[in-house]
Amino acid sequence: MSLAEPAALPVATSAAPRLHLLKRFTSRFKASLPAYLLLLPSLVFLALFTYGAMGRVLIDALYQRATPKAPVRFVGFENISAVLADPAFAGAVVNNLIYAVGTAVPSIALALLFALALARTHAVNSALRAALFLPVLIPMVAASALFLFIFLPNVGLLDYYIGRLLPVLPNWLGDPDIALYAIMVITIWKNAGYYMLFFLAGLQAVPEDVMEAAHLDGAGPYRRLRHIILPELKPTFLFVTVIATLNAVTQVDHVFVMTQGGPSNSTNLVLFYIYQQAVEHYDIGKASAATLLTLAALMALTALSFRTMASREGGP
Amino acid sequence: MLFSRRLMLGLAMVGTMAGALAVPAKAEGPTEVDLFFPVPVDGKLARDMGTLIKEFNETHPNVKATAVYTGSYDDTLIKTRAAIKAGKPPAAVIMSANFLLDMQIENELTNLDALIKADGTTKEQFLGQFFPALHGNAVINRSVYGVPFHNSTPLLYINADKAKEAGLDPSKPPQTWAELTDWAKKLTKREGDKVTQWGIAIPCAYDYCGWMMETLTMSNGGRYYNEEFGGEVYYDTPSMLGALTWWNDLIYKHKVHTPGATPGPAVSTSFISGNAAMMMLSTGSLTYVRDNAKFPYKVAFIPRNVRNAVPIGGASLIMPAGLEADKQKAAWTLIKWMTSPEKSGWWSRATGYFAPNMAAYTTPEMVEFLGKNPDAKTAVEQLDVAKPWFATYKTVPVRKNLEDEVMLVLNGKKQPKEALAAAQKAADETLKPYNAETSLKLP
Repeated sequence: MSLAEPAALPVATSAAPRLHLLKRFTSRFKASLPAYLLLLPSLVFLALFTYGAMGRVLIDALYQRATPKAPVRFVGFENISAVLADPAFAGAVVNNLIYAVGTAVPSIALALLFALALARTHAVNSALRAALFLPVLIPMVAASALFLFIFLPNVGLLDYYIGRLLPVLPNWLGDPDIALYAIMVITIWKNAGYYMLFFLAGLQAVPEDVMEAAHLDGAGPYRRLRHIILPELKPTFLFVTVIATLNAVTQVDHVFVMTQGGPSNSTNLVLFYIYQQAVEHYDIGKASAATLLTLAALMALTALSFRTMASREGGP
Repeated sequence: MLFSRRLMLGLAMVGTMAGALAVPAKAEGPTEVDLFFPVPVDGKLARDMGTLIKEFNETHPNVKATAVYTGSYDDTLIKTRAAIKAGKPPAAVIMSANFLLDMQIENELTNLDALIKADGTTKEQFLGQFFPALHGNAVINRSVYGVPFHNSTPLLYINADKAKEAGLDPSKPPQTWAELTDWAKKLTKREGDKVTQWGIAIPCAYDYCGWMMETLTMSNGGRYYNEEFGGEVYYDTPSMLGALTWWNDLIYKHKVHTPGATPGPAVSTSFISGNAAMMMLSTGSLTYVRDNAKFPYKVAFIPRNVRNAVPIGGASLIMPAGLEADKQKAAWTLIKWMTSPEKSGWWSRATGYFAPNMAAYTTPEMVEFLGKNPDAKTAVEQLDVAKPWFATYKTVPVRKNLEDEVMLVLNGKKQPKEALAAAQKAADETLKPYNAETSLKLP
């Protein structure tokens, strides 16, 4: 008896709130049912084309064939370790890091410069903004096809003008030491105008009265930039950096069109490596493993940047 | 409550309607077949293909063919494989001729022997219609898997004006590597250290580079790969070493060829603009050169060092595995029609490829065309010495194993000997799984 009583007590006391909770939950669910239903179509499509595909990649990454005729078998993390041990993957990661830093920093610096120079709206500036934004409107594939001819050795536009100054004409896309930088120039040309838009928007948010006060206090243009404008633009910087980094991994159209990762893998970026594994090597397991690694790195990066951004915005 | 119930009802109705639509209407009518086709050279091909298929549908009421444009040769392979995986393979595909072996190894092709037999012909009779050089890429293990559709060989293009300027006779083009080297030296113009006109240009970008290496190796007596078995390539051999060393010498010893890897379009532009006096390029570029060169030009066989030999290029018509019987039959009708002498010749004149069907060259239209454009004849004549295009297990990666090393040599970063040893090692590694299953699987 004395044993049964304490055992029965918690059941009696907890049963009521649990029921209550369930009721509250169902009623809340009922109330928001229309909202869920309205979300359903996009959820279905997201599930089909985004999450479904990601799930499939996750599964594919765990399977492999030993020989062409052998059936696929479960190999666990073997694909991932095979990718990590592949010198071509390591090369692609290094290339991608050089590419990311070498395109993000100059294009953001240029974008800021353009935005500062064209911050005031009048006819001339609007025209210049449009001119700088123009490369964004050209599809990457079309732009690459154009640059293919600009970079042509000996007869291209670039060699036609620079050729008079240099003793030996570089083979812009055919030399493994130069090709990656040639590709980077196109990315910078293409993206600087786009990032300029964000900085222009950011500059609108710099409070007018603070600027005026600084002006009255005798702060010169450099001090106003250093102590007022740049701190105000911090969130914009972070956002643009994230976008630029994502672009460095996801935009490889020009690699497809211009170099196919060559010569000698010198312009092979991570996404192109995945394409090569899937299509040329017909190795779905390894391609999926490389995709997973890239996805994980990108998600970590994005989460990290947005967390920093949120904490900074929330701060004083 | 009411709102959501109505929504549910609405959704249910939409669902049933979609279901009703999804059920295929089983009506007696023409067999519908899809043809996947790539456009490897220029945009006009897509229009020509539309014309061709329209004519087929008008003359064959029992079949309704739809031409589906699928991008480059590589894209076409991807899309075909995706369609096979999804269980909805296209009935016929125009596939790059050197992908057939790899697809056969992966069990993705329909063996055409039974269809040929059902027509009452033998394999020999069927293949006999096509140039012998094309058989190698269509027949695997003595079974027919592809029907040659449009093909090419590499050619030597010469700017006749520049040749005359240099005191050379363009009607007697160079026939050996020694003569070609001599021509290239005479055709190179310098201002101090700077070259203003190059003697010769040879393309090297992924795909083209391997094809040119096969061309040079074959002219040097070599084979490049084992024609009978997909698990071997001959990269680290004297014939290929000679070929790569000569290419390297043209750049760094004779200084008559631009350093570095130059893609195909750069080579043809360079030739058209007069910056390069000679080039080696596919017959597929002949129409482009004919339309754009503002000077008289001459095409010739690829010069030899040991023998005259070149690989073929181009594409064959294939049927993916897993087709229903009626689709298979319809696709076979389409394939036979497209590769008949008349259609083969028409396609050749429209595109610049040569027609694989030998009888095409006896049709009156073709005789007239060749009379007007004698340069189109050279490619056909060179077919006598043509050999199959390299095809191995995992053709593309095995080819890239070589190309990456060749590019290093052309850029002056490696010597031919060590580059070829490295290429051989990498290729052997790529071919390992296939050898493990075939040549090294012992009782």
